[in-house]
Amino acid sequence: MVITELYIKNFGKFKEQYIYLKDGIQVISGENEFGKSTIHAFIRAMLFGLERGRGRAAAKDVFSRYEPWENPGYYAGAMRFSCGGRNFRLERNFARAVRSVSLVCEDDGEELSVEQGDLDMLLGGMSQGLFDSTVSVGQLQAEPGQELYETLENRAANYFESGSGEIDIASAMQSLREKQRNTEKAIREEEAKQETEREKLRSECMYLERDMQALQSEYDEKQMQLEELRSREDSASGKEYADEEWRVSYRGEDQPEEESAVSGKGLIRMGIVGGLAGAAGFLWSFFLSRTGQPVSSTPFAVIAAVISVAGIVLLLAGIVLHVRERRRERPGVQERSSKQEWNSMQERPGVQGQDGQGAARDAQRRLQGELDHIRSVWKEKEIRCGNLKEQSEDYEISETRKMLLRKQKALILAEETLKKAAREMGDQTARLMNRRASEIFADITGGAYQLLRIDADRHLSVWDGVRSIPAERLSRGTIEQIYMAVRLAAADVLLEEPMPVILDDVFAFYDDKRLEAALKWLSGQGKQVIIFTCHKREEEIVKRVVYS
Amino acid sequence: MRFIHIADVHLGAEPDAGPLYSGRRAQELWDTFEYVIRVCEEEQADLLLIAGDLFHRQPLLRELKEVDHLFSTLSHTKVVLVAGNHDYIRRDSYYRTFQWSGNVCPLFGETAEYIDLPELRTAVYGLSYHRREIREPLYDRLAAGGVEPVEILVAHGGDEKHIPMDIRKLSAAGFDYIALGHIHKPQAVEKNRIIYAGALEPVDRNDTGPHGYIRGEITPQGVRTQWIPCACREYIHLDLAVDRTDTETSIREKTRKIISENGNENIYKITLKGKRDADISFNTKRIADVGNILEVIDETSPAYDMRRLYEDNRDNLLGQYIRCFDGCAEGSVEYEALCEGVDAILGSR
Repeated sequence: MVITELYIKNFGKFKEQYIYLKDGIQVISGENEFGKSTIHAFIRAMLFGLERGRGRAAAKDVFSRYEPWENPGYYAGAMRFSCGGRNFRLERNFARAVRSVSLVCEDDGEELSVEQGDLDMLLGGMSQGLFDSTVSVGQLQAEPGQELYETLENRAANYFESGSGEIDIASAMQSLREKQRNTEKAIREEEAKQETEREKLRSECMYLERDMQALQSEYDEKQMQLEELRSREDSASGKEYADEEWRVSYRGEDQPEEESAVSGKGLIRMGIVGGLAGAAGFLWSFFLSRTGQPVSSTPFAVIAAVISVAGIVLLLAGIVLHVRERRRERPGVQERSSKQEWNSMQERPGVQGQDGQGAARDAQRRLQGELDHIRSVWKEKEIRCGNLKEQSEDYEISETRKMLLRKQKALILAEETLKKAAREMGDQTARLMNRRASEIFADITGGAYQLLRIDADRHLSVWDGVRSIPAERLSRGTIEQIYMAVRLAAADVLLEEPMPVILDDVFAFYDDKRLEAALKWLSGQGKQVIIFTCHKREEEIVKRVVYS
Repeated sequence: MRFIHIADVHLGAEPDAGPLYSGRRAQELWDTFEYVIRVCEEEQADLLLIAGDLFHRQPLLRELKEVDHLFSTLSHTKVVLVAGNHDYIRRDSYYRTFQWSGNVCPLFGETAEYIDLPELRTAVYGLSYHRREIREPLYDRLAAGGVEPVEILVAHGGDEKHIPMDIRKLSAAGFDYIALGHIHKPQAVEKNRIIYAGALEPVDRNDTGPHGYIRGEITPQGVRTQWIPCACREYIHLDLAVDRTDTETSIREKTRKIISENGNENIYKITLKGKRDADISFNTKRIADVGNILEVIDETSPAYDMRRLYEDNRDNLLGQYIRCFDGCAEGSVEYEALCEGVDAILGSR
């Protein structure tokens, strides 16, 4: 691209000003406040437009700075340039109310559309940031900006790209991260779904537990009523029964069978002995009466009868007790629940209706029945609750979630690998950049330094043939020259369309020798170079070196 | 002596049976169990063997009463059951106290015991789980006692945590028939002799294929068994081949079709496999709408010709990226990452 004409209608201090430019190197010199930076700003504004900022910052932005002092509603200009062998005229009106832009190909009169990106295409996709980072160097702004390095990274990705569109690493990364976010969201939704099911189980469990608690207190209440009834009855019906009741209800808890005063088996044994003794007595008395002994057999018979009756009674009592013990011993009947109170209450055998002692007994029996019922309801709920708890522990990770987790893993791996690949590609571009920058730098410094190196962390260093020197340890002038070399190398590597190089007072720190070398090098690049300066020496050198 | 052998009925389970049938699936387990009881009655089988896990968890009293009522309707059949790892006999289990009908003979001991059925000239051996896991090979040292001419073992387990079994030792232990439970897939370990009846109804999404019970007869000539399917549904896992002409709509149609071919009463898991058009992605939830589908798993990968992409992009980032995954197998996480990255890079152009 070569800029041929600037027509500044009204921009900053300029009004109705024409500036004609030619291809190759040229120097625009003028004293301070001549308006060199304004022309530079005008070129930028023509190429990339001029937007007014918002809020407080707007007061200091470029738009405000160059807003004409007189007649601010009339804030416009035009530019002619040639590009790819065709000539164009670009016109812009920057004023807020009437902002407009037009681009016309002057060869065939074709109207192009800036909004549709026709100008971007002519600029080879160069953004304003990249323009500022490479070919456009402002006063005291020689150090290349952030944009240069980012573009370099993207350039790395597209190195030797074969025209099927450019890869944008940042947007590829962004799309991977967005997918990661979506996957994470889906995983959370899937988890939440399972959690809801589990929550349902938990709340059912809670209801059951509440029911169980209610049952427990109902049970306790009824138990107390029963105790009360029993004690009232005990005091009425005498000690004998109470003792028996006490023993039966507490035996088997922890008292070993052997220790009980009268065991069923013992009674049976005694009963058998008694029965046999009685029978023997009878036989003897019978024998005595037959043999006609003088001693009367009657007392013997009476004693024998008494003994045998006692034996039978003992035998019966023994059997009853024994049966009870057996029932207690049989596994399964006796519960070993965690709660002792539940145990003891079940063991207390329902008070047998011993010859129907009236309403009190009935009430006791009814209460006992209710207690048993409550207990069975309670246990049913307990088991159901336990089953639900087990079920909620059983939940497995669903296959959908497994797939999502896998996808998440794949996306993370993709992002990491993309970073790695970009770094590797970046190394290639960095080598190319380093080579080009070294060439330029060597030319400008007259071969004083052979190598210029930009490392991965964007540190600059030079090689003087003996050692590597970090850029910041060099003189101000040399640093400026390094920046220049990096910018111009980047322009070579990054810009598809050769752009005019605009240098706004950048040679202040150059000595004459280096300046001459730099200008010589610039003039040999076949590019348009526009140099703004407030010194005479640039113009003199250019005249001497280039036109001699 | 004719018998029926069932196992792993899992009463009380609420299996996930897809959007259409999950609600009544728990009842279906009961229905099929009831059906088998009816079969026993109709065929006047001599013995019903239940090889563990009759219940999915600790049985409730009302559930036991239901089951026992069904047993009590059997006019001829004797029922022998053991408890498995799911319905193991916990300290507070109702199994310990429940009074069964006269024709029911539970073998609830923690160690092996047998029940003698002289009228059938048969003795049935077995033991029950008193804890969830038993890692000792309890059946390995068991041998038929020679009490009756016909001796049967009812056993539950067979994996590492549930009484591991040495099949050779079992086979040599002298039983005429070994009724196994625990493994849900029906299978004969030894033909006509050592058999997993399989779950009566499938209860887990991975219990694929048909399910049913074993009908057998033991005569002096030997044992003859027959496996009879009776489950009312099956879990079916299907792979659906996807190619680059497919869209979400076409996949929905295909899915609908294979489901109707395989029976609308069944429960499906569909896995999409193959290469899809790189511009298309599937919403699996929408595909799952078309029938009784538990899950649709999308294992397709975009139909990129990686070799060609690489050749065309050898010198740029895309080529470099593809090179990083050199040699990874299709279907691996790495391949998925490769596709995702290629997709992102191509999408950024």
